[in-house]
Amino acid sequence: MNHSDDDEIEALLRKQFDGAVPDDGFADRVMQQLPPRRRRAAWPLLAGILAGIAACWLSLLSTPLLHAGWQNWISGELSASAITLMAVVAGMSLLACWWTTMEAEDH
Amino acid sequence: MADSAAEARIDQALVVRVRLGNDPRAFEQLVRRHQGMVRAQLRRLLHGDHAAADDLAQEAFVLAWRKLDQFRGEARFSTWLYRITYACFLQVYRKKSWPVGDDDDSETEPQPAPTQAIDLRIDLERAMQRLSTSEQTVLLHCVQLGLSHEEAAYVLAMPLGTVKTHATRGKAKLKKMLSAWHDVDEEQTP
Repeated sequence: MNHSDDDEIEALLRKQFDGAVPDDGFADRVMQQLPPRRRRAAWPLLAGILAGIAACWLSLLSTPLLHAGWQNWISGELSASAITLMAVVAGMSLLACWWTTMEAEDH
Repeated sequence: MADSAAEARIDQALVVRVRLGNDPRAFEQLVRRHQGMVRAQLRRLLHGDHAAADDLAQEAFVLAWRKLDQFRGEARFSTWLYRITYACFLQVYRKKSWPVGDDDDSETEPQPAPTQAIDLRIDLERAMQRLSTSEQTVLLHCVQLGLSHEEAAYVLAMPLGTVKTHATRGKAKLKKMLSAWHDVDEEQTP
């Protein structure tokens, strides 16, 4: 089957299709049926983020890695723990930037 | 193409107005812009049952209103709406059956040679009804509703390859079934 046959059949099918149906009060009927819209509550997301931060903080509090990394970072010493900490902070910042950009595009 | 992009941007702006401003008038505009094609889609899927098509279209728009937060803009709003509508149709179709073409591939012999009195449109309609349900559905979305193969795959929740196969096979069968018309055209051409 070549392209011209394809085009012929497609043209016939398009011709046979009646196209868009006139409104005739349909939109008004739909609008009368709409239930009130519920706004999505923001608190579950916020609570989840706070719980996540708290859990991270608690689990890292007992390890010397975070403390040592922070001390080394402050004193300008590039130890393995300081670099790890910097990489984590940079990664989280990039993630936050990406998420913000995506949200901005959506709106 | 530019028109279609502009239309998509208008839809997107209306969706934002509904989602952020909770504005029913913006949704009403969306309904007015798309009801014609959604109802046409359902009328074809339901083989001309206008009342059932309108009931289902109403259901689809109410569902779209409820689910609008889930629309992330990956597809055009119209495509997303066709997908919701098709899902509504499938739900009802599984409960109740409409007279549809069977899925076997054997019925592709050419129709008896049509006389001039028989309209090509009637023959095409008959030939369409002899295609499998999937072929009819794919041709409706790809050719008559003007969706790309990718968009049709999204609406029908089918793999892209399957959509392409059904489209090619459906058109080939139609060509074969309507070959008598082609012969008549050739005979009449001096």
